[in-house]
Amino acid sequence: MKPAPFDYYAPETLEQAVALLEKLENEDVDAKIIAGGQSLMPMLNLRMARPDALVDLGKIKTLDYIRQENGTIVIGAMTSKRAAEDSTLLRDRQPLLHAATGHIGHRQIRNQGTVGGSFAHADPAAEYGAVAQALGMEMVVVGPDGERIIPADEFYLSFLTTDIDATEVLTEVRAPIMPDNTGWAFQEVCRRKGDLAMAGTAVTLRLEAGSCAEVVIAVFGVNATAARLPEAEQVVNGQAPGEAIFAQAGEAAAAALDEPIADVHATADYRRSLIATLVKRCLAEAVERCA
Amino acid sequence: MTSTIPKLPQDMPVTSPRYVGKEVKRIEDPGLVTGRTEFIDNLKLPGMAHAAILRTPHPHARIIRVDASAAEQLPGVVAVLTGEDIKRWCNVGATSPEGWGSTPMAVEKVRFVGEPVAAVAAISRYVAEDALELIEVEYELLEAVTNPEEAQAPNAPKLFEHNASNVILDRNYTWGDVDRVFAEADHVYTEKFRWNRVGANPMETSGCVCQWDVVNNSLTCYGSYQTPGFIALGRAASLNLPSNRVKVVAHPHGGSFGGKGGPRGTDIAALLSRKADGKPVKYIEDRVEYLLAGAGQSWDRYYQASLAVKADGTLVGLKVNLVDDQGAGAEGYGTISAAKPLAAFTGCYTIEAAQYDLKLVATNRAPTYPYRGYGPPPHNFVLESMVDIAARDLGMDAAQIRRMNYIAPDQFPYTIPSGNEYDSGRYEVVLDKVIAMANYREMRELQVKARTEGRLLGIGIVNTVEPGVFDWNAYSTVGVPGVGVPEGVKVSIDILGQITVTVGFALEGQGQYTLAAQLVADYFGVEMESVRVTYASTDIAPPHFGHGGSRLGVAISGAIMGACNKIEEKFRLVSAALMQCEPEQIELMDGHLRVKGMPGAEMHIAQVAGTMLGRSDLLPPGMEPCPEASFVWTAPDRNEPDEQGRCKSYLTAANACHIAMVEVDRDTGVTDVLKYFIVDDCGTRLNPATVEGQIQGGVAQGVGAVLYEEYVYAADGQPLVSLFSDYLLPGIHEVPMTEKGALETPSPVTPLGAKGCGEGAIHTTPATIMCAINDAIHPLGIQITETPASPNRLWQLLQEVR
Repeated sequence: MKPAPFDYYAPETLEQAVALLEKLENEDVDAKIIAGGQSLMPMLNLRMARPDALVDLGKIKTLDYIRQENGTIVIGAMTSKRAAEDSTLLRDRQPLLHAATGHIGHRQIRNQGTVGGSFAHADPAAEYGAVAQALGMEMVVVGPDGERIIPADEFYLSFLTTDIDATEVLTEVRAPIMPDNTGWAFQEVCRRKGDLAMAGTAVTLRLEAGSCAEVVIAVFGVNATAARLPEAEQVVNGQAPGEAIFAQAGEAAAAALDEPIADVHATADYRRSLIATLVKRCLAEAVERCA
Repeated sequence: MTSTIPKLPQDMPVTSPRYVGKEVKRIEDPGLVTGRTEFIDNLKLPGMAHAAILRTPHPHARIIRVDASAAEQLPGVVAVLTGEDIKRWCNVGATSPEGWGSTPMAVEKVRFVGEPVAAVAAISRYVAEDALELIEVEYELLEAVTNPEEAQAPNAPKLFEHNASNVILDRNYTWGDVDRVFAEADHVYTEKFRWNRVGANPMETSGCVCQWDVVNNSLTCYGSYQTPGFIALGRAASLNLPSNRVKVVAHPHGGSFGGKGGPRGTDIAALLSRKADGKPVKYIEDRVEYLLAGAGQSWDRYYQASLAVKADGTLVGLKVNLVDDQGAGAEGYGTISAAKPLAAFTGCYTIEAAQYDLKLVATNRAPTYPYRGYGPPPHNFVLESMVDIAARDLGMDAAQIRRMNYIAPDQFPYTIPSGNEYDSGRYEVVLDKVIAMANYREMRELQVKARTEGRLLGIGIVNTVEPGVFDWNAYSTVGVPGVGVPEGVKVSIDILGQITVTVGFALEGQGQYTLAAQLVADYFGVEMESVRVTYASTDIAPPHFGHGGSRLGVAISGAIMGACNKIEEKFRLVSAALMQCEPEQIELMDGHLRVKGMPGAEMHIAQVAGTMLGRSDLLPPGMEPCPEASFVWTAPDRNEPDEQGRCKSYLTAANACHIAMVEVDRDTGVTDVLKYFIVDDCGTRLNPATVEGQIQGGVAQGVGAVLYEEYVYAADGQPLVSLFSDYLLPGIHEVPMTEKGALETPSPVTPLGAKGCGEGAIHTTPATIMCAINDAIHPLGIQITETPASPNRLWQLLQEVR
């Protein structure tokens, strides 16, 4: 379990990193960015990934921050998940993203793994995928032609694949702060605490005159990418909250999925059923949270 | 002079034992917590090369051609080993029944994914792995059989073509008048069970550094060995060396649980060293290798059981039919694992007749190896589930049906139908104690309430007998003969009175070094800190076996008491001569040889040892100046089995009762263990903290087996589990912190009354949790009979009754 040989680069500025990526791309070198390595290192050691070169962003100190800019929480891509977990700003102003962070792996993994790394790796079972969809987040990438902003629904293309170009670096993620009185919930079902989820759900909604409004339902761990499920949202929007309608939304969510992933832990049918349960439960929890 | 071994701690030559029976701090721990203990991967020898093994991706294939020439050319490569070398230098391993063993590397065909086909030694593991990619292997793919049913089909492809079929062993044991008992029973319950493949997963995988002395044609193997003497003998057999030309140095290792018995890596590293002209070669198995093809897979079982019961709930007969998927051959002593349940076949109960139909089948899965408990965990899951099935049908409480069938304290020693003799026990006291601790009645009330709310709350109450102090004699009917498992130590007192204990086993985690120091310190009335326990390699150690079969604590106690006793006798002679009295007038007490009835007339053991080594002129004529003694202990009174396998096998019978409360999520199938209580009676607790640790660790592995762990294979024989992200060991969040209580019913037949206690919890936990789950879901008219009770599996069942 040792990686195949590769060249290693550790640029110290974003500009150097982008220039290096462009140079390697022009030389037809298969380069891969490493931003914590909690997913990439095992893949290298198993020789499942065998890039010619690794570009380590660990020395770029300008990408480590969490701050509020107007109505948005912005997080530098090289911020550790542990910093996100410990951030009171995140906890108070972006509680859904904060709650999801606590579900990512174990503390040791969150120490080393970065927020940007998780977004860019795009594992179908990554918690942040659903959060991005639920909050309508934006990803900021910088390449040779400058900065580009990608909305969440265009960011994730497929299994482990995003819209980030080979010469681009993900520098920041932006999460609009939820309006007051927004209820939210985040739940997942894992075999063990800290495992990749077999299925998970993020929900936000508001109560207006006793009815559910602006319902957002996003799921992860079941299809190639996390996804919003408007079919399920429609079931609840404009309806008074209640067990029956939430169960109905759960069924609609399950029906709206692409054929779910199947593995040794969960069949496709089981994953579909978990989504139905989680959507139902998250809707109830989110309603509870509406101030 | 005959040696007398104290039957209880208070019989030791000390006013009051200061260490034995106390929660003393472990002498192993300072080295472990400071990272100074030398595990095998820390060992670096001059000129050492690093090995990597090429493993086949095919479950069943003939090897047509292996071309390693490009690998040999890669800079940094020291040696390449292929099947040709194996053919020239190596024998089939001796640990399997005739005809079912393998060489360490495939020669003509591969029989499971992960079987070694070539190996490289290079200047680093990186280069070695690069070189593996340059080796070309051409295969002719063969049809694979991946379960016993396929493997037994007429015309099924044979794994071992020289054998008549894929059936390794097919035999029946009948004990007592089974037919009559079943005919006369009021109820016969029959059920099928499936225990999926799980296994040992120590923190550290196997590893070794092997060096072939090409001048003297001898071999030294340093490694993480559980049973060093056995490994040495096995290497002599497989590598064609005289047994005194193999030296094994066991290093402290990070657990084993049976999972470090795989000799393939050692044989391969040894032959790479031979091929590299005697350069030492290190091989550290990585986790993927361990999970795919290490010694970590066990118990792949299909059961059908019948329980014969009287109308009043009396259990009278038990039939168990076991088809055991041994994987690709029997290299890992799998036959023993299937036969071990003979030692406690009928559990805690007075069942009068029993039958065991045993069929061991070879398939293209990885070969199975020992795992802690060694067979009874699945057997107890079957037996205890059957008892619950009977209780439910008869409308009896799970505790009550067990209580009324217990072997009573005055029935010991008690011979069970399968022939083993239980030494002692107070099962009802254990039951009462755990019931009180758990507040069982309140748990049942909670359950009633939960059911009215539609929640699936269940309680499992399970008791088992843990056969302790294993003996080979139990296994001669399955091809592994022998009576007696010797364990030896040497106790030496130096000229300044400092004491050293030499043992033949390395640190593994169970605290036996601490136990050795406790025993010697109390015997000679010295501080525990002044006793040093040291490891001797196989070339100089007394006869030994090492860890295994809930045996070493008792065995080492016997060996140490025996050796101390021999020294005491020598010291009695010397001190009598020095104090001018008869040896019979001398007694050892609190570290002094005293003249009975003469206060003040005494010598400290240090004075006696010092005199022996420094003033030979003062010794009685002919006295050997040797203040040390070796003693090799083996369980007394063991005998050969009859043809039905009946014999006095395991010396001790500890027992335990566990109570668990679980809740099953009806929508997701997820099981939550809410409460867990244990009372365990393993006789005298020589170090209660160690016993508790053994129990908690066994619970963890039991939770793993029943809820999380499973080696999954695809229908084509491909293993689907090769990483810890798929083979799920329970973590701190998944294992309940159990509430534990103790009862101490000393064994009448062991040193100090202690019983084997290393496996009781893994024997009991899977059954307890499974019984609790079934207690939770049976009102819905469903039951689960397959492990692990994973969320998906339970959800599937719950779907049937939606």
